[in-house]
Amino acid sequence: MRVITAFATVSVGILLATASLQAHHSFSATYDGNKPITLRGTIVKMGWQNPHAHLYVDVKNADGKVVTWEVESAGPTTLMKQGLRKEDFVGAEVIIKGFLAKDGTPTVNASSFTLVESKKEFVNDEKTP
Amino acid sequence: MALSVGLALGAQAATLAQARPDFSGTWRLNQAKSSRAVVGNNPDIPFPSQIEVKQSPTDISVLNTSVRQQPVSAVYKLDGSKVNVQAPEGITETGEARLDGSKLVITSRRSFPSPAGDIAVEFKETWSLDAGALTIEKTRTQSGESSTQKAVYDKL
Repeated sequence: MRVITAFATVSVGILLATASLQAHHSFSATYDGNKPITLRGTIVKMGWQNPHAHLYVDVKNADGKVVTWEVESAGPTTLMKQGLRKEDFVGAEVIIKGFLAKDGTPTVNASSFTLVESKKEFVNDEKTP
Repeated sequence: MALSVGLALGAQAATLAQARPDFSGTWRLNQAKSSRAVVGNNPDIPFPSQIEVKQSPTDISVLNTSVRQQPVSAVYKLDGSKVNVQAPEGITETGEARLDGSKLVITSRRSFPSPAGDIAVEFKETWSLDAGALTIEKTRTQSGESSTQKAVYDKL
């Protein structure tokens, strides 16, 4: 029984470590450095998880259609050090500077984002090891 | 008389040499000497990891490469005329280059489709040589927002 419990614990640990590694991908593998993009929209949801916080932002296209973008940002700790709180900005208007995902989905890696009302800029200052 | 002509020719040659910097070579990004926001996981402005440059009196050929990114290349006329940049599929880009004293100035306009519609971005690069290193100051302008970063390259 003890052996089974230990095996299960190790297995779960490996699965969690794998998930973390997959989430902590490199910029160059996932995003297109040749496609910089600047978006302006409204934050509708916040994913406050490590290693990257994710903003979900509604952006209105020129034709009036609203597309929800997933914006990968710095980790929560980095954002909190810059004064950001999760509950502070859902519903806020934001300008995002970043790069498009290679797979063509409405996903962007943000190098920075600025809250329009307060003009406060949050920089994704994470560097590749 | 011969001495005067010689001095005049020498001075003219020196002026021409000064006015025509040569950026030829293979250049690799020096991360330690560059702005923090040009490297790593979250660049503010994309700079290539390596640049291969071939220069003639009339043209300058530039090949930009980066790890796991598609290369971008162009052969610019040094008279400032517009050329098509060889960009990855889906990207349209034109640009022009001109020498401004000891500096090279490249301006370009890039467009590509996205889920937000067609995206346009403008770049202005100013190249200069100093003590064997190539410094590129690059400004990205998009949707009314501009930012500038600097990168330093060492010659291989």
